[in-house]
Amino acid sequence: MDSTTAPHRIPPEMPQYGEENHIFELMQNMLEQLLIHQPEDPIPFMIQHLHKDNDNVPRIVILGPPASGKTTIAMWLCKHLNSSLLTLENLVLNEFSFTATKARRLYLQRKTIPSVLLVQLIQERLAEEDCIKRGWILDGIPETREQALRIQTLGITPRHVIVLSAPDTVLIERNLGKRIDPQTGEIYHTTFDWPPESEIQNHLMVPEDISELETAQKLLEYHRNIIRVIPSYPKILKVISADQPCVDVFYQALTYVQSNHRTNAPFTPRVLLLGPVGSGKSLQAALLAQKYRLVNVCCGQLLKEAVADRTTFGELVRPFFEKEMAVPDSLLMKVLSQRLNQQDCIQKGWVLHGVPRDLDQAHLLNSLGYNPNRVFFLNVPFDSIMERLTLRRIDPVTGERYHLMYKPPATMEIQARLLQNPKDAEEQVKLKVDLFYRNSADLEQLYGSAITVNGDQDPYTVFEYIESGIINPLPKKIP
Amino acid sequence: METSNRELQAAEYLERHRIKELVSYLTSALLFFRPEKPREYLISLLERLRIAKVTGVAFPFFMDNSNIVAMFEMMDSSGRGTISFVQYKEALKTLGLCTEDGDLKDDGHIITLDKFKEEVNKRMKEICEKTKGKDSESYQTAAGLLLLH
Repeated sequence: MDSTTAPHRIPPEMPQYGEENHIFELMQNMLEQLLIHQPEDPIPFMIQHLHKDNDNVPRIVILGPPASGKTTIAMWLCKHLNSSLLTLENLVLNEFSFTATKARRLYLQRKTIPSVLLVQLIQERLAEEDCIKRGWILDGIPETREQALRIQTLGITPRHVIVLSAPDTVLIERNLGKRIDPQTGEIYHTTFDWPPESEIQNHLMVPEDISELETAQKLLEYHRNIIRVIPSYPKILKVISADQPCVDVFYQALTYVQSNHRTNAPFTPRVLLLGPVGSGKSLQAALLAQKYRLVNVCCGQLLKEAVADRTTFGELVRPFFEKEMAVPDSLLMKVLSQRLNQQDCIQKGWVLHGVPRDLDQAHLLNSLGYNPNRVFFLNVPFDSIMERLTLRRIDPVTGERYHLMYKPPATMEIQARLLQNPKDAEEQVKLKVDLFYRNSADLEQLYGSAITVNGDQDPYTVFEYIESGIINPLPKKIP
Repeated sequence: METSNRELQAAEYLERHRIKELVSYLTSALLFFRPEKPREYLISLLERLRIAKVTGVAFPFFMDNSNIVAMFEMMDSSGRGTISFVQYKEALKTLGLCTEDGDLKDDGHIITLDKFKEEVNKRMKEICEKTKGKDSESYQTAAGLLLLH
């Protein structure tokens, strides 16, 4: 109870459970809601919040100049994510609310409504069941800083804000080709997005205010306002260039919206690197261990250390080494568990490579409770592997390792006496690579959330990919 | 950076309803019991707390004498049978039975096991009385006691 000198030994099941169930994020969301609404009676409020269970529904705001394709993107995202779309039009045309009837009169006269009314409408709409359960997408709101601040004071915060941007000239030109389908409200374009069905083509209307002058005026207004809205959403904003095909913009927006932001949740990385021999696993593991102070656990290395130190396990392993046979799984797992159970592995996290080689080993690992929370597959084409491995040489006199292509020896004299490790001979390498690929399909299925990295690049690029895979939360896959 | 008015307001809200202790208790309970469905478990815990407040029924206390003895022994590492005043105060704070600026007086006497037990029981009875009332702080302290399962 008083601060003892011995450090706390937290059983590893606790942080694992916390990570898997995203306990930190859960508590953080609840606390955020509590602080925003500050109810007098916190406990019923928290119960209600937990019942809603809507921490991960989409809450998106899409902003952009006229003719940037906001409405199209918003509609497509809506269909894809199955959320509700909120635009000025459909808020005002809502038949079930008194505020909307008031607003409608003003809207029909002047095409805009005062911010206070707009924000009231939004608040009403967002309190409805479908927005709570399935999320919402705001198209073109907030337009001004005033609206943004009002929305914020009500406690409505989006999780992703997308701002489309394109050069003004492009937009003015694009706007001239805009056509609207009066029935569905979908927006088409004479050049870029012409509907295939001829019946739709026939009843497309030209919207009213698309002349160059009007578009230029609207753009002026937009630029004046957007510059003051953007600082309200510092970390959740993403600018996507609208000067590309619609589909590209949509895919960029979709990937962004499906990604989670980095959280402050405590996270001990337990990384598993899989790949054929020569794909660079040991190198990446060493880099990771150095930068993030993880424990580098290489299975082959562990076994060799055990044999060299003549530990009890080492004595059991030695006959297999001497006969050049693979060490049986049970023994392997025992040596591994001994290492992974040590305090430094539990506290700092580990990088594992060299196991599991096949499905059985993977299942054994799981049953022992060593579940990695990031798995990476390093893909390297066969030719690169051959190049990397068969050209390795070692100098018997100095012990220095060379590579005939990447790190050639300095003088001809050294080159003359270089030797090759028999394990690096072509046939051996081929055998090992085949062995890996035979088992890789099973492993890929087992580790469903694994990240594939192209290993055929220079080590630091590969390292950056792996780093971003570890640091960013795993992307959630929408079925 | 100077704390803005809203920040101070928020901090004061947290303090008033003892939200930090509550959240800490909920998270510890989750990590300790590791239920299959964390949300449902949290909802059940909160419901119990709410009912305890409304009906004024005393919360089931999980601390009994053996726990108090165990705690004392942990602090008294050399087995002399006494603990220092600082340890005693810290222990009461951990149990949630004493506030930061505590009303304990260091009367120069060493704290024995009996005195410790007596003080803990006395304070728990006080809280028992308080939970029958309707202030929001009372069930937070009761919840704090639940930490020692």
